[in-house]
Amino acid sequence: MAKDLVNTLADLKEKEALGIVQERLSAGEDPLRILDDARRGVEIVGKRFSDEEYFIPDLVYSGEILKQITDMVKPKLTKAAEVKRLGKVIVGTVAGDIHDIGKDIVVFMLDVNGFEVFDLGIDVPVQKFVDKIKETGSGVVGLSGFLTLAFQSMKDTVGAIEKAGLRNEVKIMIGGGQIDDQVRSFTGADAYGKDAMDAVKLAKGWIGG
Amino acid sequence: MPVIRDIPISLKTKEVLRRVGFREQASLRPEIKSLIDELLAGAKNDFLLEPAIAYGIYPLTEMNRGRLPLEDNGVIHDPLLPSLLSGADEFAVVICTIGHRLEKQVTNYFKQDEPLRGVLLDGIGSAAVDLLAEEACKLMTERASSRGYQAGSPISPGMQGLPITEQRWLFKMAPAQKIGVGLTSSGVMSPLKSTSMIIGIGPQMKTWTRAEVCAQCGLRKTCPYRKGVKGEKQKRGKISKKSPIVHPC
Ligand code: B12
Repeated sequence: MAKDLVNTLADLKEKEALGIVQERLSAGEDPLRILDDARRGVEIVGKRFSDEEYFIPDLVYSGEILKQITDMVKPKLTKAAEVKRLGKVIVGTVAGDIHDIGKDIVVFMLDVNGFEVFDLGIDVPVQKFVDKIKETGSGVVGLSGFLTLAFQSMKDTVGAIEKAGLRNEVKIMIGGGQIDDQVRSFTGADAYGKDAMDAVKLAKGWIGG
Repeated sequence: MPVIRDIPISLKTKEVLRRVGFREQASLRPEIKSLIDELLAGAKNDFLLEPAIAYGIYPLTEMNRGRLPLEDNGVIHDPLLPSLLSGADEFAVVICTIGHRLEKQVTNYFKQDEPLRGVLLDGIGSAAVDLLAEEACKLMTERASSRGYQAGSPISPGMQGLPITEQRWLFKMAPAQKIGVGLTSSGVMSPLKSTSMIIGIGPQMKTWTRAEVCAQCGLRKTCPYRKGVKGEKQKRGKISKKSPIVHPC
């Protein structure tokens, strides 16, 4: 049974997956176990995406199914077992750049995978990142940028976080079409990710338990 | 400096798929295919696409060592320009946009927890800009050929050798504000779904395909949006005479 949900979700069979969840809930199964299986299904989707078997819309589709499952499961949870957020992540497109779609996908996938996400939007001034870290105590910051000019903004943002004495409090990841390890090293970020699943993996590795 | 509107944009699923990173070895889920079709119809019915082109044509008086002198004492710097514009007597500065409406709808979809629709509609927007840029190139080709000239393939700021910051000169030479396109201080155009190009016009001009541009790009190994992935491999690396199309992305 447990295996079914994992694979059905991994195969992106929306109706069937939701049907299985309904059955398992009606049978009085532990909602957290159901959610855990659903998350494992999305992990397989991520793997298939990395293997180029799936493409971005498939990944986002799996996130939408996971979100529906979370919404179905939530009311059945006791107060004590409430869906725990894995940790807080701040995400924004850096100053000077206005590309939003890649960042929006990252925000969505982090959210459905259990993080509390603070989306600062596009063209975000460095100080806004600093202020948000202070305000929320987030452990991870994700910087997005698609233009070459974003590299300098990312470096400036990392610098401002350092100057504010917060560099040891946060892990910083960067991403966007042109980002690679050379850019990461230039900006002083801790890691870079090629896609939204990388963002989830990195955040989980740092603060996701 | 002319402005053109009401350009018919008719997109095929295949063109949208490239813009959402569809991979050759993947299979297209029927749910996603039908959602694309629905969104394409919706984009048309709700007038989400407001295609417009603004351009200006100027004589090419002098060009050496990667400097393209402009009116206003401006100069575009690009070490590649002399080779790309070689043979040109004139050059066109072209700015294209599909407007703000589609972008707003994409944002709405994300806000309404419908990111799949958002991602697919965003892909439709990018594919529409591609098509619009092709239309603009065709227009320049037609104009040129009516005078016995040819139009070369376009060069866009942000491509290798021509920094995005040079965009500010283009904005002085085409009536971008008339089609609602603005430039941020960092040189990014708003609406995002816009593109800018320089096109050489002369008795005999070089042309290149999008696949050829992709083959030159630093992202060619990893970019999921590159052209020449499917069915176009054989064209890579060859200079194509027939196709004036190209956009750097
Ligand atoms: C689609 C596209 C366009 C579209 C619109 C862009 C849009 N999003 O709406 C159009 C055709 C309109 C366009 C126009 C232009 N473009 Co363009 N475009 C692209 C392209 C192909 C994809 C960008 C994109 O948005 N992708 C969508 C997202 C979903 O893609 P993604 O990368 O897969 O997203 C994932 C990752 O990036 C990652 N990620 C993102 N953020 C983060 C953050 C973290 C922390 C992590 C871990 C991961 C992560 O997760 C995402 C989801 O999986 C890129 C090339 C590329 N491969 O990136 C060029 C690119 C950005 N464009 C470029 C250029 C030059 C332009 C123009 C300036 C050309 C011109 N002169 O007209 C214009 C500028 C437009 C403007 N408004 O000013 C250049 C920029 C180079 C530079 N010098 O900076 C690029 C890099 C192309 C190139 N080969 O050189 N463009």
